[in-house]
Amino acid sequence: MTVDVHAGIMERGLKLFSLIEQVRGVPSDEEMEGLLRLLPEDSRENLTAMLAPDLREVGLVFLEMIKEWMFAARDARGQGKKVVLVPFNFPPDLVHAFDRAVPLTTEVLTTVASLALPGGAARYWDYIQSLGLPDHICSSNSVDVASMLTGKDLLPDAIISAAPGACDANAKVHEFLSQYQGIPQFLLEKPVDDTLEGRALYRKYFRTLIHQLEELTAETLDPDRLRAVVRRCNRCTELYWELFEYRKMRPCPVPNMFNLFLAPLRFCMWGTESGIRTLEAMLDTARRRHEGGRYPATEERCRVLWAYTSYYFNVSELHDWMGRQGWTFLADVLSLYLPQPIDTSTVDTMIDGLATAAWEYPMNRQMGTSSMSRAWVSDMVWAAREMGADCVVHCGHDACKQTWSVVSILGEELMSQAQVPLLVLHGDSWLKTTTPITVIQQEMEEFIGNVVLGKKRTRRKVRRRRPGVGAPDPAA
Amino acid sequence: MDYVNEINQIVENRHVRAFREAGGKVVGYSCLFTPVELLDAAAVLPYRIKAMGHPETDLADGRLSRFNCRFCRSCLQLGLDGTYDFLDGVLQSNGCDQLRGMFENWQYATAPDFFHYLKAPHLLDPDALDYFTFELARLKAALEEHFSVSITESGLREAMDRRSRIREKLVALDALREQEHPAMTGGEALQVVLAAGAVSAVTYEELLDRLAVDLADRHVARPHVRLLLGGAATDEPALFAALEDFGAMVVADTLCFGARSYRPLLSMADGAGDPLRALAETYLGGSRCPRMYDEFDGRLAFVREAVDGARADGVILVNNKFCDLHGFDNALLRIRLEERGVPVLCLEKEYGSPADHGRMRTRVQAFLERIGGRR
Repeated sequence: MTVDVHAGIMERGLKLFSLIEQVRGVPSDEEMEGLLRLLPEDSRENLTAMLAPDLREVGLVFLEMIKEWMFAARDARGQGKKVVLVPFNFPPDLVHAFDRAVPLTTEVLTTVASLALPGGAARYWDYIQSLGLPDHICSSNSVDVASMLTGKDLLPDAIISAAPGACDANAKVHEFLSQYQGIPQFLLEKPVDDTLEGRALYRKYFRTLIHQLEELTAETLDPDRLRAVVRRCNRCTELYWELFEYRKMRPCPVPNMFNLFLAPLRFCMWGTESGIRTLEAMLDTARRRHEGGRYPATEERCRVLWAYTSYYFNVSELHDWMGRQGWTFLADVLSLYLPQPIDTSTVDTMIDGLATAAWEYPMNRQMGTSSMSRAWVSDMVWAAREMGADCVVHCGHDACKQTWSVVSILGEELMSQAQVPLLVLHGDSWLKTTTPITVIQQEMEEFIGNVVLGKKRTRRKVRRRRPGVGAPDPAA
Repeated sequence: MDYVNEINQIVENRHVRAFREAGGKVVGYSCLFTPVELLDAAAVLPYRIKAMGHPETDLADGRLSRFNCRFCRSCLQLGLDGTYDFLDGVLQSNGCDQLRGMFENWQYATAPDFFHYLKAPHLLDPDALDYFTFELARLKAALEEHFSVSITESGLREAMDRRSRIREKLVALDALREQEHPAMTGGEALQVVLAAGAVSAVTYEELLDRLAVDLADRHVARPHVRLLLGGAATDEPALFAALEDFGAMVVADTLCFGARSYRPLLSMADGAGDPLRALAETYLGGSRCPRMYDEFDGRLAFVREAVDGARADGVILVNNKFCDLHGFDNALLRIRLEERGVPVLCLEKEYGSPADHGRMRTRVQAFLERIGGRR
């Protein structure tokens, strides 16, 4: 017996964005209050945090970007375009480079459901369980896939599955959707091999994927269009690194909420004008806050780096709440994607550049390599030092067997190499039904109060651990 | 069957001890993508790491977590508590994310003298085959260098011939198991397969020859219900006992510690071409593991053929808690098999947990009553 679901995430999300579309300019507090009152309670709380007075202007630019992305998928077929479902570990830029294709990102749609739709992601999660799938699969992708499995959501014309090799759960859920709904699947394996041979195989597969997209769209990848997209990608990269400089400052002038904005930007609209506008607005906000010396609390008390994902079902009580405590949300792995400029001189350099970008995407870069811990440790140690983190938090997303496999190594190495403590929480990043946000808050309060701030008061000498023979190479 | 069971009683059995005492080296591996022929040819004994339902995981839990499958935690436990100290090296493979984590911690915590990571692609196409052939060459070179041996082409072909014969002999045993009055129970068949990864190829082939003679006229009780067991890593004799306790019998399987380790039969050594390429084609092309993408139809056909061949009344698909690969595949297999009228029970189990047996027995009992079977 399957769980009854009346409407898919796209349909419900589009209704929400149609409402936001009514907003003209930057509304006053009163207008915003009136508008938000029209929303159901769970959506209202998160959107209120995202559109707080200090963030309203940039928040609306961000929501406009998401709206544009969703509307493009909705309108695609009417315009003779194909909808291509992509996972979060794949650059949508390649799909944007096709005139007759639009990307739709599984995990971002799940996030839309999780933080903006009444009831959050729960009903879709329940649906996919009712098909007999286990309760330990990854909500980040299975919630949106569930919505598509109901048959009441927009179905893509093709699926790019970019996780074989990097993540079993992600690759299998897309395979399940492909089989269940009869949607063609283009497979891009991420070899867990950092040598030249592994990279060469990946580049071959990346080119095969381009041919598959060309066949799907009946369109040859146009070098000029590709170059225009890559140039916009490069502009996004420049803006990202400018913003990164602000993320390093004390106190940090970059609002915690920007971590939530940065991830979908990369996973949906990187290389688009809308993406550039959003990054420019974010940079503008950071600059103004820096110049005005503004910080959400009286002082910055703790700088927190999230080792993997964080929680996306209640940003009001996480991102916003942390700010009120004087705790800066420096980054999570989804907002710490370290993009690099792409050489636009030839089609080959651009394709190779996009393939390299895909290789370095979050999760591919850390878990999808020959060692699940080495690159992760290396990235976290680098980020902790570079951004001046006082502590690192692993959210303990249930489904992530890779991070759960090596988080003990991460904890040991963070302490030994950077003298930064690690808090390991447990919860589902997209489902509020697993761990209450109040419990997460309580555990963070205890840890930061006792371990981090306590340590600041009485600095202890930390004995450096001698790296073992099998320890990750810090120089790697 | 006592001579088979005896091999599996303890991890470092008398054959392994004798092999080591004679100066031989033993390397542990776990995944079916490991071409054991290369180790045979290097005169190294390939030992398949298993846990046989070992219930303790306290040491492993300090490294992995309770969100990792307990099969891997149990294996790591034995790696950390000294049970596997007799291994002269460990061969990692990327069978699944859980195994990757298990091996990574094994290496981090114990730093074995020889540790090699064999990376198997998840696709089956010419590029993947080229890559895997190259990976096998890397493994060959690593074995030669560390163990100071030379793996010759003739030595490798000889090892491939022997392993091909072993596969054929295991398929022949299946025929005895599929009879109206089977020659052995499912639990006994598991013991036979488990022994394959615990002795040298030479010893194992002799054991199979002896078994063929001993089982020729042997018949166990005619089962009330004939079952096919498929799914995740299942090296637990106790589970088979629980399943076969109600008059049912596992007359065929598509398990990783079962038929998937020797079926389908693919020609490995036809005397022509690069033997490493032949191994790559056999191990990738013959795989029915859910880690391979774009191969679901082949896996479905594999199960259906096994059901038909053994005249199974129903299928039980097991997966260890937290196993994503089999969790997804079992759900889809169930849907597709039931569309074709094959009754299926999907059973998620807590590996190595005796406390879970009661619950599973109840589920199995209900399933057997539902499908009835022929009496």
